Amino acid sequence: MARKDLLDIASLHREEIEFLLDQSTSFKKLFTHSVKKIPALEGKSVLMLFYEASTRTHSSFEVAAKRLSAEVTNFDVAHSSITKGESVRETIETLQAMRTDYIVVRHSHPGLPGMIARQTTAAVINAGDGAHEHPTQALLDAFTIREKFPDPKGKKVLIIGDILHSRVARSTSTLLQKLGIEVAYLGPGSLVPKYVPESIRRFTDYEAAMAWAPDVVYLLRVQMERQDVQFFPSVREYHRVYGITTARLAEISDLGLYIMHPGPVNRGVELCDAVMDYERSLITNQVENGISVRMAVLDWLTPGGEFPRQESIYAARQRASSPVSIP
Amino acid sequence: MLLLQNARIASENSPVLLEGDVLIVEGKIQDIGSNLAIPEGARVIDARGRVLMPGMFDAHVHFRAPGFENKETITTGSEAAINGGITGVVMMPNTRPALDSATSVATVLENAKDRARIPVYTSGCVTKNREGKELAEIEGMRELGVKMLTDDGDTTSDPAVLLRAMQYATEFGMFFASHCEVPELAGPRAVNEGVMSYRLGIKGSPACAEEIIIDRDIRLARAAGAHVHIQHVSSKLGMETIRWWKSRGDVKVTAEVAPHHLLFTDEHIGDYDTNYKMNPPLRTQADCDALLEGLIEGVFDLIATDHAPHTPFEKAQDFISAPNGITGLDTALVTLHHFFVEPGKFGWDLVVKRYSAEPRRLMGLPVAAIEVGQQANCVLFNTEAETTFTKDFMKSKSQNTPFIDQTLKGRVDLVILGAEILLER
Repeated sequence: MARKDLLDIASLHREEIEFLLDQSTSFKKLFTHSVKKIPALEGKSVLMLFYEASTRTHSSFEVAAKRLSAEVTNFDVAHSSITKGESVRETIETLQAMRTDYIVVRHSHPGLPGMIARQTTAAVINAGDGAHEHPTQALLDAFTIREKFPDPKGKKVLIIGDILHSRVARSTSTLLQKLGIEVAYLGPGSLVPKYVPESIRRFTDYEAAMAWAPDVVYLLRVQMERQDVQFFPSVREYHRVYGITTARLAEISDLGLYIMHPGPVNRGVELCDAVMDYERSLITNQVENGISVRMAVLDWLTPGGEFPRQESIYAARQRASSPVSIP
Repeated sequence: MLLLQNARIASENSPVLLEGDVLIVEGKIQDIGSNLAIPEGARVIDARGRVLMPGMFDAHVHFRAPGFENKETITTGSEAAINGGITGVVMMPNTRPALDSATSVATVLENAKDRARIPVYTSGCVTKNREGKELAEIEGMRELGVKMLTDDGDTTSDPAVLLRAMQYATEFGMFFASHCEVPELAGPRAVNEGVMSYRLGIKGSPACAEEIIIDRDIRLARAAGAHVHIQHVSSKLGMETIRWWKSRGDVKVTAEVAPHHLLFTDEHIGDYDTNYKMNPPLRTQADCDALLEGLIEGVFDLIATDHAPHTPFEKAQDFISAPNGITGLDTALVTLHHFFVEPGKFGWDLVVKRYSAEPRRLMGLPVAAIEVGQQANCVLFNTEAETTFTKDFMKSKSQNTPFIDQTLKGRVDLVILGAEILLER
């Protein structure tokens, strides 16, 4: 069952997901001990390769690796040769020569962690690639939901917001569905792709979505930095139409619904301030659970194998390519 | 002197292959008939079972010179053409510097004379440096024989600029070729907007980004009384738009389709395979089906490959960073045979018409045909043999094609142009 890389949720089997969530439970218990460190990855090196800004994912991985006794190196993209025009591929060839065991990578280009994984013997963990996948976020989300609903099958999660630009929405919805949880999207028409999988319900109206009776309302961060054109008129209007306003929080509270958010929160946009004090808000639980989930992932993956021959990834891929199918 | 015996001769006018001998003397077809006498000193080739057809002509290729000779040169590009049974090409002007003046066109054409064994023609830019602002030196290019004007790779964004160019250049007997795309709608120009773009997390390029410009440029051509040629159509509605305009009959419009848009869908991209990254992007099976229908019906006047070589290093980048395009010259004819002629979707007459005769007509060139009195310009195609597109087989400098290491049915055995045998295997 061991894998070299964790690149996406789509390719994970349900058994692997259950295993990782169970392992996360064990690691979380460790947090109550006075010594929180175990020697699982002693002598191993973890390279943090973050091409995009990150606070919580980066620090969560770093804490997780250190609690497993790994050595952590932060690759300083801002001061690297990348600023001199070095390509990601050249960077990886350099890093491969350094024989790192794990590479945790975040990049704005979808598919880039997979490209790195094919070029290196290190175990590669996708810490977010553009609007494609963010598998450890999905795992920590599922773990957090499972803490509240030990048998989550049949539960309903309503994901609200910018689906178009969200890797969280893609990964988390895929994983939740693999666990038997029903998922629905709600967001502005300009931010919910027309072609979402048929298994995901799509709402354009908040009231209709709430009538669907979700158990969890999962708010996505409005990613203004990814929006090259205007997708909605104003954040004020967004909050009024799609946000958790004070009035809507009262309704959610009455219904006893849980609220989640991958952070960082835009207060007054996705949700009103009061949500942060709402007793069924799981936002800080998500952050805390991120560490144990990432420990489970690091502990699970198996770096190594044959050191790749010095040939282009292009040639390798060509050799491995499947025959062209006849239309 | 060359005598091809018992060849099955293909023509654009007949779905039936007529069997016969073809005698070529001093680069011209001197006689066609059955059981021709073998003249003294003639070389005899037994062409039994093989198809003899006119050399193909590709009206949309990128030879990357000047400026990107690491991807392709006029020599390697034209050798790739010969390798695939193509005996004439039209280069696109998106080189560096762009072919937007008589000076740059003259340099390219001179190089082509020295370095290519087949006629290499070039198109010229509509606007200086393909920037869509100022008109290129149109008349100077015409004097050198340029017929086609295009800012290929980019749409001439400002309709007023294109309309003026059309009004001006039509007077010189030139026509316009349009790469159709609204850049503001097209995103990173790599993936069709659909299920696949959602899964890959890439902002999709909707088919309407292409369809809007198809319609716009035909309307502009109508207003200007110009001839517009729509390049590499990828969408069903794009095909239907052209069909509708053609049915009106009040504007001169021609169109082309590329083999890859007939063959592949966005599903082929799979796990970010950059060999399927092209512009316009691969769309859906419904689009492929409609394009095939349009080709058979004649909505598409010609097949053109949009031969777009890129180095392995460039294509080995991640999907977003990798450039658009695949090579097509080495593979086109075998591909058309394997996927369409062999399964009976269309006949050799369509291949000859759409990939040999019509492209030459578009360019105002004499049409090649296997007829007495014609210059020998022909390809002998073996329908029973196979071709494996290994790296060594390819003559293009780049091998960015989904067909690499694939084996398909059919083989180009012989390419003759005038008195010269360009290829024999």
